[in-house]
Amino acid sequence: MLSAAMVAVDSAAMMTTPKAAGIQFRREKRDIVMSFDYQISLISADRTIIINLMQSGIADRISRSLMNYGVRPAAISGFFVLLAFLWTLFLQHTFAYPFLFLFFGAVTGSAWFGGTIAGFLAVVFSTLTIAYFFVPPYYSWSIDAAAETYFLAFIVSAMAVSWVSSSKKRTETAIREARDQLEQRVFERTEELRKSHADILESERRLRLLTEAIPQQIWSADTRGRVEYCNQHLLAYLGHPVEEMQQHGFLRVLHPEDLALFRHTWERAFAAGAKFEGEWRILGADGSYRWFLVRGMPQESLQGGIARWYGTNIEIEERRRAEQALIQAQSEVAHLSRTLGMGELAASIMHEISQPLTAVVTHSYACREWLRSEPANLEKAFSTAEKIVEESTRASSVVARVRALFQKEPPFKERLDFNEVIQGVVWLLRDEAIRRDVLIRTDLSRGLPSVDVDRVQMEQVLINLAMNGMDAMSRAPQPRELLIVSKNESSREILIQVEDRGAGLEPESVAKIFDPFFTTKPHGIGMGLAISRSIVETHDGRLWAAARPDGGASFRFTIPCGQEWGDLQG
Amino acid sequence: MNERTQDRTVFIVDDDPSICEAISNLLESVGLRSEHFGSTEEFLRGRRASFGCLILDVRLPGMTGVEFQQELIRSGADIPIIFMTAHGDIPMVRKVMKAGAIEFLTKPFQKEELLSAIQHAFERSETHRVEEAACRLARTRFEKLSQREREVMEMMTAGLLTKQIAGNLNLSEITVKLHRRHVMEKMEAPSLADLVRMADRVKKISRS
Repeated sequence: MLSAAMVAVDSAAMMTTPKAAGIQFRREKRDIVMSFDYQISLISADRTIIINLMQSGIADRISRSLMNYGVRPAAISGFFVLLAFLWTLFLQHTFAYPFLFLFFGAVTGSAWFGGTIAGFLAVVFSTLTIAYFFVPPYYSWSIDAAAETYFLAFIVSAMAVSWVSSSKKRTETAIREARDQLEQRVFERTEELRKSHADILESERRLRLLTEAIPQQIWSADTRGRVEYCNQHLLAYLGHPVEEMQQHGFLRVLHPEDLALFRHTWERAFAAGAKFEGEWRILGADGSYRWFLVRGMPQESLQGGIARWYGTNIEIEERRRAEQALIQAQSEVAHLSRTLGMGELAASIMHEISQPLTAVVTHSYACREWLRSEPANLEKAFSTAEKIVEESTRASSVVARVRALFQKEPPFKERLDFNEVIQGVVWLLRDEAIRRDVLIRTDLSRGLPSVDVDRVQMEQVLINLAMNGMDAMSRAPQPRELLIVSKNESSREILIQVEDRGAGLEPESVAKIFDPFFTTKPHGIGMGLAISRSIVETHDGRLWAAARPDGGASFRFTIPCGQEWGDLQG
Repeated sequence: MNERTQDRTVFIVDDDPSICEAISNLLESVGLRSEHFGSTEEFLRGRRASFGCLILDVRLPGMTGVEFQQELIRSGADIPIIFMTAHGDIPMVRKVMKAGAIEFLTKPFQKEELLSAIQHAFERSETHRVEEAACRLARTRFEKLSQREREVMEMMTAGLLTKQIAGNLNLSEITVKLHRRHVMEKMEAPSLADLVRMADRVKKISRS
């Protein structure tokens, strides 16, 4: 029985070998590469392993179950019961009857080391052993009636001991396993954390590389608008170190004219926590300003507030230029006089006429000289006279061309909202107003009836009046404000006012300002107002001037309302 | 027009050929020689005569008349310029007149205006030519002087007395007097006042 138990223990120890062999096998496989040769090489390396290898599969599983639930519990419980039997046999005469507590120890030990099955087997073995050896009649399976109760109590107690012991063992094992698992998990989690930290660092590095690789200027600012980070593109453009940007932000590098708008936009965005964008000029390292589209976006923190601002600056210098060029080209093509201004047009006409006129006058002098000389050079005089005719014809053709220009065609009238026309003109004059440091303000009536007008001609009138107003304010102190007002004068017509805060009008000028070639400007031709009045009159309106009570001039014109509107009202 | 104007040429630069033609016709009728060009570049490339004056239109293709004037001043060419334009403004007139233009004519102009401007230009260029010749002569004479004589001449024209010159140069008064006589002889100066004028011309040439 002892040797059987020893064998059982030995095979229990052997049970772990397939596992160990598996590990070894995996290692070997990695070294030897997948092939059938590994068996041969393993045989030569370790014969026992190959035996265990051959036990793999279903046979292996069956033998393992048999080992776990049969041989091993039987061996463990047999071993403990045998030990208890031998010691009880040896000690039974020293202690008082009935001496059975060693069997409780055997049951406890079996249940502890071998599990529930071993505990149960130990109870069975102990019961049999006690029934045979230690319960009267001795050396027989029969039991005395007197010992029956005691014997039953033993069985029940032994069962209870077995159950307590095995369950305690299970709990302990479970705790140990849980602890081991916990340790393993902590270790794994630590590894994971370390790895994710490395990942974060790597991704941050990549992100940084990305921000540097994007051919745009990128920055970030804290919640109070202080610049924290600028990418290399931005720093290279500005030519300032990042510390300086952190200290002063964008205020130092913005165009002075854009500063007020930028500050306003920035402050409003920061107060509202909303993204913003705007077009501003930024000073580059080369000392010149370029246009940028600046966009800022808040990043929300986990608590819900704003953590930081991110922004990009996109250079739009080319676009701005293209826009300008486009506007100019459009205007030039559509109506020469709008871009050149009526003064320019008149100057150009004057040049056109004065050239042939100069030639005529000069030839005439020459002709006189040829005739006056002694003797008179008739041949030269004659050819000069020919030239005079030629040049005079040229001059008159220029005049005819100019007349055609002014009377080109009847106005192309369409039904329009005049406020739209005004807004279009304000937009066209925007850059001019900035250049002259003039603020253009509008006060447009909401319920303005639509009118039948030639849009281009109306724009010409408005531009002419606005330019006059800006000219009048060129030497005026601030605020230089040009006000354009639209209102319903009556049910039949609308009234447009263009008012400046310039020097105003001399009483004697008021009567003459609409005369052709009357001008108060050093470079003026004096055609603008005359042309404007003729345009307004072809639209059945009136154009007149008035002095403003608080200084400055007010030019006003009326345009009759569309026919249907008039009908409705009338 | 007097005799001296015979070797003078009026250069006309205007992009309008009819203006060029008319002006040269008028000039021919009063006996003046002229060459005309459509642009400043043509003028620079094609001018045949070297002396005279320039009638320049303000509006020109490429470089404008005003820019061309600045260019000429920079390059050191000293040719009197008469401007003409159909529509000139006051700042422009002021600018070109300040830069040394003879006249600013507004098209169409009177014959007398043109001819008197040309007369004026020729006079100025004549004065300039005479002055230039005098400068060159003074320089040639000055180069014949020894180093010591040049020093003496400089001090003489600066108004120093013989005694002071002798003191400055560590020479005896007699030696200085001798140098003074040599200077006057070599420079062919009739008086000290003439010598001072010559010294100015010598300086002007060495400056330019």
